[in-house]
Amino acid sequence: MAATRRNILTDTTARKNYIQGVTLLKQEFLGPTTADLQIPGPAVPVSTYDLFVVWHHYAMGTFTPQTQGDRNAAHRGPVFLPWHRFMLILLELQLQRVLNDADAGIPYWDWAADGEAAPADQDDSAVWNDDCMGGQGSPITTGPFAFDANDPAGWRVRVTADVQGELVQANRGLRRGFGQNVAGLPTQADVAAALNLNEYDRSPWSTQSPGFRNRVEGWRPLAGAPGLHNRVHVWVGGDMLPSSSPNDPVFYLNHCNEDRIWAAWQDTFPNSPYLPDQTASAELRGHRIDDDMYSLLTNPVTPRQMLDPSDFYSYDDLQVS
Amino acid sequence: MKREELSLGAAPESIVQRLTEGGAELPTQDHGHGHGGGQMESVREATYRGHHIVVRTTYQLEVDGMPIEGHMGVTNDGQVHYHAVPNLSFASAVDMVKKLIDTFPEDFQAGGHTEAGRHTHTHGQGS
Repeated sequence: MAATRRNILTDTTARKNYIQGVTLLKQEFLGPTTADLQIPGPAVPVSTYDLFVVWHHYAMGTFTPQTQGDRNAAHRGPVFLPWHRFMLILLELQLQRVLNDADAGIPYWDWAADGEAAPADQDDSAVWNDDCMGGQGSPITTGPFAFDANDPAGWRVRVTADVQGELVQANRGLRRGFGQNVAGLPTQADVAAALNLNEYDRSPWSTQSPGFRNRVEGWRPLAGAPGLHNRVHVWVGGDMLPSSSPNDPVFYLNHCNEDRIWAAWQDTFPNSPYLPDQTASAELRGHRIDDDMYSLLTNPVTPRQMLDPSDFYSYDDLQVS
Repeated sequence: MKREELSLGAAPESIVQRLTEGGAELPTQDHGHGHGGGQMESVREATYRGHHIVVRTTYQLEVDGMPIEGHMGVTNDGQVHYHAVPNLSFASAVDMVKKLIDTFPEDFQAGGHTEAGRHTHTHGQGS
C-alpha cells in the first residue's frame, strides 16, 4: 500500500493522525541516549521523534566537501530535495508503525494559499487553530503541542542547537513568532515562478545557482530572499529557525509542501533530469545522482532512488499555484 | 525505490543498532571552520578570464565578550551566513549577530556565559 498525502486544512483524518503520530513518536524511547549522539551532559534517552531532530542537525553540519562552507549534506545544494524526501519517507514509515496504519501519510500545509492573505492576517490561518498546530508564543500555549509546566510528559524541546551551532540538551516549550523576521509567507505567484524553471539545478551547485532547486530552497532571487522553503521557516520563527527546526511538527508540513511542489515540477518537466549526474566532479560528492546521501537512522540511499516515490506515497492534489 | 528496500532499515531495531553500534557517522561538533579564539575564516574562490581568484576573509565575533564560534561563511555575492540560523543570509555581519541574539535568548542572558557553562548547561524553563 502507498500513502496519500493530503492537505492538513481540508482532511480531518490526516490532521488527527499526524498529531497523534508525532505525539506517540515523541513519547517513544527505543534506547539511544544523548551520549550515543555526542550531546553533552548526562546521558538521557532520546525519543524517536527527536532522533530526526538530531539527524537534520548533523546533516546540516556535514559540509560537502569540507573544504568549502556553503553546500552541506542536505541543504544549499542539489541534494536538498531528495534528502528531505528521504527524511520524510523515513518519518512517515515511523508514523505508520506507531499508528498501525500503513496508509497514513504526512499532511502538507499549502502555505502559498495562506500567503495570498494580507501579511497582517496570515496568522489567522486555520493551521494555527487549537485543533491543528496551535498558535505562537515563547512558549506556545495553545494546541496539541502547548507547553504545560505541570506535565513533564507533554511536548517539550529536549534537544536543540545553541548559538555556537552545537546540539545541547533542553527542557522547555516550543517557540514560534509569526512574521517577526519576515513580513509574509510565500505567495502562489512565487510558486508559479519556480515552476517556470525547467532546469533542476546548475553550476555552481550552491546558494547562487539558477534553477528550480535553489528557487524552491529559497536563496534566489536574492532580492526576494528568503524565499519559498526558507521563508516559511523564517516566518514561523522560534524553533523553526535553528538547525534543530524539526523540533516543530510544522517542519514536516512545510517540507511536505515543498516535496509536493517538486512532484508537480517532475510532472511538468518529465524530461528534465536530476542534476548533477555521476560524471560531475568529486567536489560534488553527496549531491550527484548516485552518491550516498547522509543518513543517521538507516542505510544511505541515493538521489536517484528518491526520484520516484510512488511506492511510498502520492499527493491528492498537485495544483500547487 | 521499493518500500521493502527501506522498510527493513527503518525498523526500530535497525535504527537502534545503527545508532548504538557505530553505524552512523556523526560529524564532530567542532565549531565548523573556527580557528580558536572566535576566529572564523571564509575562503571564496572564482575563475575569471582564466585567472583563479581566492578571497580569504577572517571574522572574529563577540557578544558581551563571549566569542561566537559556530561556522560562518561568505558566498561569492558577499552574503554572510551562519550555521545556527541556516535559512537566512545577511548583507551585514552585524545584522546577523543581532539575529543570533534574538534567536538564542538563553545564550545571551546576564551578559553571556562561561566556556564551561556552554558545554554543560541545559536550556530550560521549568519542570
